[in-house]
Amino acid sequence: MARNEIYREVAPEEFRQECSKLFDGGRGRLRLMFASDNRETGEGFCIHAVFSHPGKNLFEILALKNLEEKKGVIVFPSITSVVPAAHWYERQIADMFGLLPEGHPDPAPLVLHGLYPPGVYPLRRDISHKEIRESLDLDKEDLSPFMEVKGEGICEIPVGPVHAGIIEPGHFRFSAVGETVYYLDARLFFTHKGIEKQFEGMDFDEGVKLAERISGVSSFAHSAAYCHAVERAADTSIPGRAGAIRTFLLELERLYNHLGDIGNMCAGTGFAIGYAKGASLKEGLMRLNEQLTGSRYLRGVNIPGGVLVDVLKNPAETLRMVDGITAQFKSFIAFLTGASSHMERLENAGVLARDIALSLGATGIAARASGLDDDIRRAHPHLYYGQLIFETHTRRKGDVFARMMLRADEAACSLAILKSILHKAKGKRLEGDIAAQPVKKIPESGQALGYVEGPRGSIFYYVRGGGDKNKKPLRVKPRAASFCNWPLMPFAVHGNIVPDFPLINKSFNLSYSGSDA
Amino acid sequence: MLGRILYNIIGRKQALPEDELNARADAGGILLETGPLAEKTGRVFRRSVRIRQVDAGSCNACEWECIALTNPVYDIQRFGMDFVASPRHADILLVTGPVSAAMANALKKTYNATPGPKLVIACGDCAKDGGIYKGSYAVTDGVGNIVPVDAFIPGCPPTPARIAAGIMKIVRASSKIK
Ligand code: SF4
Repeated sequence: MARNEIYREVAPEEFRQECSKLFDGGRGRLRLMFASDNRETGEGFCIHAVFSHPGKNLFEILALKNLEEKKGVIVFPSITSVVPAAHWYERQIADMFGLLPEGHPDPAPLVLHGLYPPGVYPLRRDISHKEIRESLDLDKEDLSPFMEVKGEGICEIPVGPVHAGIIEPGHFRFSAVGETVYYLDARLFFTHKGIEKQFEGMDFDEGVKLAERISGVSSFAHSAAYCHAVERAADTSIPGRAGAIRTFLLELERLYNHLGDIGNMCAGTGFAIGYAKGASLKEGLMRLNEQLTGSRYLRGVNIPGGVLVDVLKNPAETLRMVDGITAQFKSFIAFLTGASSHMERLENAGVLARDIALSLGATGIAARASGLDDDIRRAHPHLYYGQLIFETHTRRKGDVFARMMLRADEAACSLAILKSILHKAKGKRLEGDIAAQPVKKIPESGQALGYVEGPRGSIFYYVRGGGDKNKKPLRVKPRAASFCNWPLMPFAVHGNIVPDFPLINKSFNLSYSGSDA
Repeated sequence: MLGRILYNIIGRKQALPEDELNARADAGGILLETGPLAEKTGRVFRRSVRIRQVDAGSCNACEWECIALTNPVYDIQRFGMDFVASPRHADILLVTGPVSAAMANALKKTYNATPGPKLVIACGDCAKDGGIYKGSYAVTDGVGNIVPVDAFIPGCPPTPARIAAGIMKIVRASSKIK
């Protein structure tokens, strides 16, 4: 069992209080909350809530087991009233397992749209993909109501799921007064693909491919977190060089995302030349990815036990390329910050207040731009991060400007990390194998968390072995960064004008596919 | 407009010439004969093709590659192609993703909103038959199960060069059919 995890079973009566203690007004962070159907192992339906202790590299995982049935429904005590960050997790659990969060202020369906009939709970282990499919009515419209704002001069603007630009599907319902957004209701989960259930039918190697395809531009972060969980559940560790390679590629992924996002924000203000420069810079990085790993999205590198591609083979040459990118990056940022027409649009737009970010469990850029100092690389150092000296950054104001500048700060930091790893590789201080024994089997007693700080924030995985003669997992729970950040959007958009929505949206750059899974 | 001009100026410097684009594309796997393309007689797109991209539940990597098509390196506008905001303005639907159950209806509606004759291109391995998501309860195993598909561009994700070359190949093939 992984060393920084404490699993503790609690009684349902104590659950809310214990969670509230660990959450501690937001100082302890709710990293993940999920259910599992453990009827096969005699534990019945279980709920797990994962908190990290403030200031310590320690996770405490509270478990409810053998949930009880009340009047024909299986229930568990909702913790949303004391841990607001749990609100979506609990609705997700209700949809996927049919477990009712008692006392949830808004227990409406979240993941499953109207075309899923009531009473079908996809993640229960006694229903197959085929059975669920046969129960669906693909033509059925989702008629569940949107939040309605009443009053003089309020008009509703529906947008999506098919949008005007090349972006992912989601439906937004703006209630606006003139140009000003009073309330935004977002209906997501259009790209829900049933990935959690698919994991259960795959062996541990195959699972990597699926993890890579949860969210396109976080492919590496997701597969690294998944492998981390599998390795810890199997009680193996990876060679030092593999850890350094994963660290290197995580930073490369952060870099191409941050630069691409900074460029995309220019599209949000109609600043075409800034957008074009950002897009060219990103394209350069995508090609570097391809050159180093054979994939523009860094796919096919991770496996449980290490990595398949030795990207630190030619450190001198890679270093030259990274130096070239650094120079371009610097001139790009200098160019943008000198463009006052662009920068002025960013200031005071889409402000996310710190207390909202804290109580709703924001992560990544969204959290750090609103003054929350939370970075997995620092809070729970793993891979090669423990051996590196690097800065983490925060900004106070929580507006689009803060999020853009934070990305620039972090991109500079990623470049520094890339260089420092390359220098070490050049000096032959990272020698060794790139993969340990592959993980083929994990027993039922093997369970662990895996995590990384991805480009959009923390990504968590929970893996438990014991399925199909230990060759497959009983449960895999991925949690993308965007799942935590989507609920922030209505708060950040409130009071802004509708035409600024694309800009604000781009400043968060949330993943639909990752969150919908 | 000014933005567009400036964009073109920086764009031109870096843009890949068409033959290099084709060389990078490895367009071999692009399938044309999968759909009712041959029936679309008399359609000549010439050098003005309008594309509506529809994400039907992809992992989003395919979209990023479509977005890259408009960056200064690929700059597909110089070949007379462009992405449009509405299906009503489109000649081509470029669909990505395995078609998640929740997107099936929206995809159908988008298809019906597109004026004929229209081409539907399934872009990416999962758009063909579900790819990695095949068999999952929440997907419908490919665009072809929801709307008629004319062509398929393989890859997971296909590179921007391949998508660009693929669209050109498909457009040329359809323009020859009288
Ligand atoms: S083809 Fe591959 S890259 Fe494209 S959407 Fe499907 S899984 Fe993602």
